[in-house]
Amino acid sequence: MAHLKNTLLIIAFQLLAFNGLAAEQDLVVVVNINNPTSKMSKSQVIDLFMGRNIAFPNGEKATPIDLIDDNHIKRFFYKNLVGMSLARVNAYWSRVKFTGRVKPSVKVPSESGLIQHMHSSPLAIGYMERKHLTKQLKVVYALNE
Amino acid sequence: MNKSGLLIRLAVVMIFSSLAVGFISSQLFYRFTYLTEVDNSKKQIAELYKTVSATASIAAYLLDRELANEVVEGLATNGVVHGALIKFDEEVVSTKLTNQDSIIQFDLHSPFEKGRIVGHLSMVPDLKQIQIRAKKIGRDNAKALFAQAIAATLIAIIIVYLLITQPMIYISKSLHKIKPGTSKRLIIPDFHQHSELGGLVHDINHLLSNTQQQLSAEQELRDELKLLEKRFRMIFESSQSPIILMEPRGSILIYNHAFTHLLEKINLDIKKNFGALLSELFIEHESLVQSVRVAFANNEISTGEYQLLSRANDQPIWVQVVVNSIVSEDMKEYYQLTLHDISKRKKELEKLNIRANYDQMTQLLNRHSGEKSIEKLIYNKQAFVVILMDLNGFKEINDTYGHDSGDEILINVAGILKNSVRHDDFSCRWGGDEFVIILTNVDKESIRAIVKKILLKIQKPYSLSTHQQEVSIGASIGAALHPKDNLDILGLVQMADKAMYHTKQSKALGNTPDITFADEVHD
Repeated sequence: MAHLKNTLLIIAFQLLAFNGLAAEQDLVVVVNINNPTSKMSKSQVIDLFMGRNIAFPNGEKATPIDLIDDNHIKRFFYKNLVGMSLARVNAYWSRVKFTGRVKPSVKVPSESGLIQHMHSSPLAIGYMERKHLTKQLKVVYALNE
Repeated sequence: MNKSGLLIRLAVVMIFSSLAVGFISSQLFYRFTYLTEVDNSKKQIAELYKTVSATASIAAYLLDRELANEVVEGLATNGVVHGALIKFDEEVVSTKLTNQDSIIQFDLHSPFEKGRIVGHLSMVPDLKQIQIRAKKIGRDNAKALFAQAIAATLIAIIIVYLLITQPMIYISKSLHKIKPGTSKRLIIPDFHQHSELGGLVHDINHLLSNTQQQLSAEQELRDELKLLEKRFRMIFESSQSPIILMEPRGSILIYNHAFTHLLEKINLDIKKNFGALLSELFIEHESLVQSVRVAFANNEISTGEYQLLSRANDQPIWVQVVVNSIVSEDMKEYYQLTLHDISKRKKELEKLNIRANYDQMTQLLNRHSGEKSIEKLIYNKQAFVVILMDLNGFKEINDTYGHDSGDEILINVAGILKNSVRHDDFSCRWGGDEFVIILTNVDKESIRAIVKKILLKIQKPYSLSTHQQEVSIGASIGAALHPKDNLDILGLVQMADKAMYHTKQSKALGNTPDITFADEVHD
């Protein structure tokens, strides 16, 4: 019994430690400064990244930019946004892709690559740590809000 | 086999009731199974929903018609589901749906946001299939029940036959053979010593014993009654006297042989009614009716002697009639008539009477009864005349020709007297050659006329039958009148005698008076 109690305590501590990490990782969803969209709801963000919507609320076609899998920011982003591990997110995509209706987002290997891509594409949408924000980008949704 | 026999009835009832039970239970089972199956199908559909909800949610989330279609088609291949439908945004993806009554709808959530409904998945259970299955189950159940009922019926029939019907048939057949009143009894069937059938047999035997006792008692009584009846009949039938039982109005209820015999004797046929108290049979029936009335009024048995009206011109038949009034238990009155034939006695009495009152030879009243008759007239205060007549010349004939000739003369005179007087008058032989003639209510003139007539006849020459000889006699006559001359018989006769003597003397003197009246004689 005492052993079980200890195990539960350890799990609780680990969860707290992870949250602490999440709080540090202040992720934001950003678009090009020229994009007319200035604010998005969580659902709108999810719909764009998970393939339901392919356009911004104003109707302009959106290009979601994603990181490649082996990235802790990406892992953190999906965990926070849809509560899924990357494995499950990938499983979702692999199932969806068969239908051919939804195109998966453009993938870039790093945060810097993402910023570069964002600067050049006014209809792109991506996610990054707030500390890496540039003047040419604007926050439409903050994950920790 | 007997149509209304116990076995047939039992079998029919059991088969019909098992059919009814089978029918009702199969219906109930069908209903129950159907509902269970519907419930099951709902559960299965819920399971199906769980299985496909992930894919269906994605399809709805991505507004992916093709994926939705795949899901819907996939669901439709399942036996439980008749059809399926996914609805999202404005779009509907469905298989062919004929019946949407029992549609079951589930929410489809966004795969990424638990609270967000992105569409609906609906499924229609395949009720037809369920019905078919429920029906089959119901039918199978009914079949099983029916088979069970048949088996139960057969077993019940066998048991009933062995336990009840067979012994009952045995009892019934045995009972059929037993004649009530005999000493035969039923035998209790095997294994039924303590059952209701045993009780029944026991009771029947008890009843049979009682019946036997009763019947034998009745038989004894009947025999006694028969014997008694035989004796009564003997008394009644062998009675020489006619016995008749009749109603007061005259309807004859019963009569014996002697009565028919009597009727034969008087040449009459038997009939139902000869009038009250058989009055049609009697000459003096009024007197009979009267005397019976008087007797009954005094609570007496009526007895009287009456002569029967006889059609046969034979001897008169006299009977003593005894009439008894009988009141039966039910307060009805009957008359019992007994007739005793007394003709013979009557005849003998008549003979005796004649012998005592009449002169044997002349058949006229003798002196004794003549005196009695005269006394009767005196008693009745009647006017009459005593005529005394003495024959003249009789003694000579008697002496010359013998007594027989004298007797012949006397008989002849008697005959003359008989024919000369009226019915109410009479004449008698007073003794020897003396005669007395009594005439009532006459005057001297008519007396003289009658006497003259008589004398003429007497004086007429008479030829004696035995002697071929004509003889003639005369007579001297004297008379005394009652009540004019005398009031008693002795006086009257003496006076008549004197008067007659006077006549005789006058004749001797040469006069020829026919008659001398007492008041004409002077001492």
